[in-house]
This record gives sequence, structure tokens and C-alpha cells, in this order.
Amino acid sequence: MIDPLTTALYLGTGVLVLLSGLFTLLDRRVNTLVLAVVAVVELITLVQLVVGIVQLASTARDVNGPVFVAYLLGLVVVLPLASVWALAEKSRWGTGVLVIAGFVLLVLVARLQQLWTGVGV
Amino acid sequence: MSEHRDGPAAGDDDSGTTGRATRRTGSGPGRILVAVYAVFALAATGRAALQISEDFGKAPLAYALSALAAVIYLVATVALARGDRTSVRVATVACSIELVGVLTVGVASYVDRAAFPDKTVWSHFGSGYGYVPLVLPVLGLLWLGANRRRGVSR
Repeated sequence: MIDPLTTALYLGTGVLVLLSGLFTLLDRRVNTLVLAVVAVVELITLVQLVVGIVQLASTARDVNGPVFVAYLLGLVVVLPLASVWALAEKSRWGTGVLVIAGFVLLVLVARLQQLWTGVGV
Repeated sequence: MSEHRDGPAAGDDDSGTTGRATRRTGSGPGRILVAVYAVFALAATGRAALQISEDFGKAPLAYALSALAAVIYLVATVALARGDRTSVRVATVACSIELVGVLTVGVASYVDRAAFPDKTVWSHFGSGYGYVPLVLPVLGLLWLGANRRRGVSR
């Protein structure tokens, strides 16, 4: 399942981590640019949720369904929760929260891959 | 919890520090700490729920400890986010239990492998989670200490 969608997730999240990391270093708050990147990545996770469920329903693979769906849902909720928490902080630590959220997304995507391929579970 | 969000602008204590929003355990750098704690609360809860629902008999001790870790992380997350006087005490206790837990389970998982056929968040000092479980309680206690010196807990 290393497909364009997964690549887009890794790329988008990578950009998010780098940008918010840079903002944290430069002592900048969350702004529209950062939120736009968050929105794009969130959109990709929503597509992944739908595609993931469709693929799960039609696959012959031995995938742990409930856990797989839990990871898909996890992927979708991380950024909204992190954004609320980040926006309430009017300092560099707000963007810092988004760095953490980005790392969490990277881990979730990697785990999702493991669950799908059955490698390293 | 929502009342704490607008804290820094209010300037409602007399500690005399200017500008910085580091007066409560849930703001400033504490925001990051709470975020990381929340991640571990979710991860530990998920792991414990899965382990216990699938086959509790396989490794009852490890799975019970997973559940304990989940509860500790949840309590610490909420207490650090709230940051009032009682919450600071609760957070201190939670972080202390967490530190003792990760050290005890860390040692035990190497010494008595038979008791830990499956992993917990704390086994091998949290190596499965990049050793963050080992660092987190230390950071939590340091942060609580730094806030106490600032006079936050009054």
C-alpha cells in the first residue's frame, strides 16, 4: 500500500513538521500559512480514511480490521485536536504542539503500513 | 478546563514576570508536555484495551500494567492541563508513580522475561516508544518544580 496517497501523507506531514519546527525556532505563532498546511494534511487523512475502509472491505489480506480502522480514525483526529490546543497558546509553544502532532502522524502512517502489509506488526 | 485557555493575557498573579505565558503548568512549554502526555494516554489506552480484550490470560501482569500506565497518563494529562493547586499535587503524584513504574517495569522486563511475554508501554524502559516513557516523567517533575518555584501553586 505504498501508493500515491501514502506518499502524499508522508510529504504533507513532513512539510508540516519542518514548517512548524521552523516557526517554533523562530519564536513565531501559529498563522494562516501553518493552518493552511494543517488543512491540506487533514484533507489527505480524510481521503486515507475513506480509501482505507474501502480497501479493507475488499481485501483478501489478513489485516486486523478493528485496529486498522482505529489507526485510520486516529489519523483523522490528531490535527483537529492538536490545532485547538495549539491555537490557545499565543507563543512559539503553540507551533511546537503541531510539531509533536506531525511526529504522531508519521508514526501512525508507518504503523498503518505495518498493519496492512503484516510486516513488523 | 476552558477557563485556563485565556490565562496568559489576564496577568492575574503577582509573580512579576512579564510577557511569558509560563505561569500555569498547561501553558508555555507545558503545552508541549500536555500534548505528549495526551499522545501517551491515547497510545497506552489503545494498547491496554486491545491486549485485555484479545487475550488477557496470555500475559496478565503485563496487560494489567499497560492498563495502569494508561490511567496514570490520563490523570497526568488532565492534571497538567488544568494546573490549579490541587491538579499540581495530583500531577506530581502521577508523574512520580509513572517514574517508579517505568523504572520498575524496565528492570523487571529484563530480569524476569517470563512474566512479560508481551510488551507494555513501560517494558525495557519504553524502548518501543523511543524511550520517551522514561524521559517524560522526569520532564514532568522538573516542569512542576520550575512552576512551584515561580509561585504558581499558591
